[in-house]
Amino acid sequence: MTRIALTVNGTKVTREVTPRTNLADFLREELLLTGTHIGCEHGICGACTVVVDGEIARSCITYAVTCDGAEVRTIENFDEDTLMAKLRQAFSEEHALQCGYCTPGMLVAARDLIRRGEARDEESIRIGMSGNLCRCTGYMGIVSAVAKVAGAYSEKAEPNAATRTLGPAPGPDAPDGFATEKPASARPAKAVKAEAAAPVLSSQRSANVQTGEVTQEGKFTKLTQTITVNHPREDVWRYMADIEKVATCMPGVALDGPPQEGHVDGRMLVKLGPISADLAGEADVTRIENEWRGIIEGKGRDARSASLASGRVEYQLAEAEGGAATQMSVSMAYSLAGPLAQFSRGAIVRDLVSRLAGAFAQNLETRLSGRESDTAPAALDAGSLVFSVLWDHIKGFISKLLGRGSD
Amino acid sequence: MKPVAFEYERPRTIDAALDLLGAESNSKILAGGQTLGPMLNLRLVQPGLLIDITRIPELVSVSDEGDALKIGACVTHAAIEDARVEDHSNGYLRRVASGIAYRAVRTRGTLGGSLSHADPAADWLSALLVLKAELEITGLDGSRRVVLKNFVRGAMETDLSPRELLIAVHVPRSEKTARHGYYKICRKTGEFADAIGAVSFDPGSGAFCMVAAGGSEQPVTFESPENLFSQGDPLDPDSFDMPMAMDALREAGIEADNYELQIRAVAMSRAMQDAMSP
Repeated sequence: MTRIALTVNGTKVTREVTPRTNLADFLREELLLTGTHIGCEHGICGACTVVVDGEIARSCITYAVTCDGAEVRTIENFDEDTLMAKLRQAFSEEHALQCGYCTPGMLVAARDLIRRGEARDEESIRIGMSGNLCRCTGYMGIVSAVAKVAGAYSEKAEPNAATRTLGPAPGPDAPDGFATEKPASARPAKAVKAEAAAPVLSSQRSANVQTGEVTQEGKFTKLTQTITVNHPREDVWRYMADIEKVATCMPGVALDGPPQEGHVDGRMLVKLGPISADLAGEADVTRIENEWRGIIEGKGRDARSASLASGRVEYQLAEAEGGAATQMSVSMAYSLAGPLAQFSRGAIVRDLVSRLAGAFAQNLETRLSGRESDTAPAALDAGSLVFSVLWDHIKGFISKLLGRGSD
Repeated sequence: MKPVAFEYERPRTIDAALDLLGAESNSKILAGGQTLGPMLNLRLVQPGLLIDITRIPELVSVSDEGDALKIGACVTHAAIEDARVEDHSNGYLRRVASGIAYRAVRTRGTLGGSLSHADPAADWLSALLVLKAELEITGLDGSRRVVLKNFVRGAMETDLSPRELLIAVHVPRSEKTARHGYYKICRKTGEFADAIGAVSFDPGSGAFCMVAAGGSEQPVTFESPENLFSQGDPLDPDSFDMPMAMDALREAGIEADNYELQIRAVAMSRAMQDAMSP
């Protein structure tokens, strides 16, 4: 628990909070200020918009602990505000609300828009209010209510513009009520867990990897890839038989032990931006000798997010450049279940898969040439290309849920 | 929809922040939290420790370095939009800032947070690439500067190590004759862009840089108007040639279908018009 001291609607408040408590929950559950509504709870809908040090903010993705020393205003604090009074009346007259769930956020955002002089015409009002979603009205009433009030409003006041921090409120000058039970200096040094090295991928696309169309078949996403390595098919085929060796070519993969009759247990650590997933799983490898073809079926689970991934990778080796090189055609199908599985965006697949496959091809090339590679161990056979495609889902998931521009 | 339990520290100096980064392996830097917040709430990110860097004075300061403006990593988009940060880019940074997401996001979202996250669909990445911005990074092993182009390695992947902190962005001062343009294509205002075009050129010196980005791969940079303009004259936006630009994008390694190439080219073309508009 962390002690924070802040001003809410003009009243000084001191409370113990857990750092993960968002400002909206803090206002509603600790202070019983239930006028602030929680809609999406991840910064999309705008229902929870409040004012922090004079600027509007989304209280569901602003943690209470970061508002230590700040001045917070919620919808309950605008009774005496003449601009808000006009907005309330206009919202009523123009039918700018029905169920009322989005209204506190709408009012706070509309007041800010008008106050900043950005509600100039219908277009600017629509753009300015686009961060607040309404499921009832179709926005016509909201836009006309804001336009009505803005048209009669001439002041443009920025009283504290000069003293405000250039960063997120409240900034370095805010009074500090912050104290933890354990002072920072007494923080016990944590045993640093041996970390599997996350794959470091080159920004350069490897010229010898080509990614084909990405298609959706039922719950499976399918894609194909072609990798060319400058070694004869016989050598590549022999090398691919050694699952442990192949695993070391794929960034982020570690096997739990030697394979038992084509069955292998292992894990793969993947990082994308601030997200990391540690997928523990198993795979079965089948090789069809006379067809130069191999099939890997695997599944993995990330214990923290409880997401499941399963997939099938099929590769086929063909001679290229008159036998001097080998073309490996890889087709993959994967599906996801659990929290990460809800969305997909096809576009990012190419970038990530190309880079991972590029790293794999490069490592394979190096190993076949008998040189040691300095990259971290990893695996195609454990289905890691499948896992890399997982990031398509995660990325698509994030962008759909965030549904907006950069932070 | 609630984050996992994490610890929270609020260092007052850069050194204290670096010490914390070094002591806890599962830590995350928190600036404005406008991308990290949703990820935490969705439990896509499950840190042991959040290090709030918004109260470190150096990170929210802006200083004039003559040929460049040094903008602290925690300066918000809104501070730039409101011209509380000196404009030295002929109004370009203000225009870009005011188009990022929504006001309630811009008031907390930061320049440094956006760049470290390196989402290819985010605004600052493309917008600052054409201005040749440089990043100032510090870690326990010392400080370094890296040009933005070398900082980005791919979608959401940067040169920043987990033990380093991005502390400032150096944005070169624009010549009075320089023109900058920016355009993004979104299906809804404030969403992540499907395509971004950014351009900067100076008829005086002949300097030229154009960037095209989509939603997935790292932005592509063109350092010369060649292969983009049918007349070879970047001063004439009408001579921007869409089919040529689509070919150039293909040649630059963008593996995308015609539609995706076309919206990138349209964004480039409109960025050019934006640069030429008075």
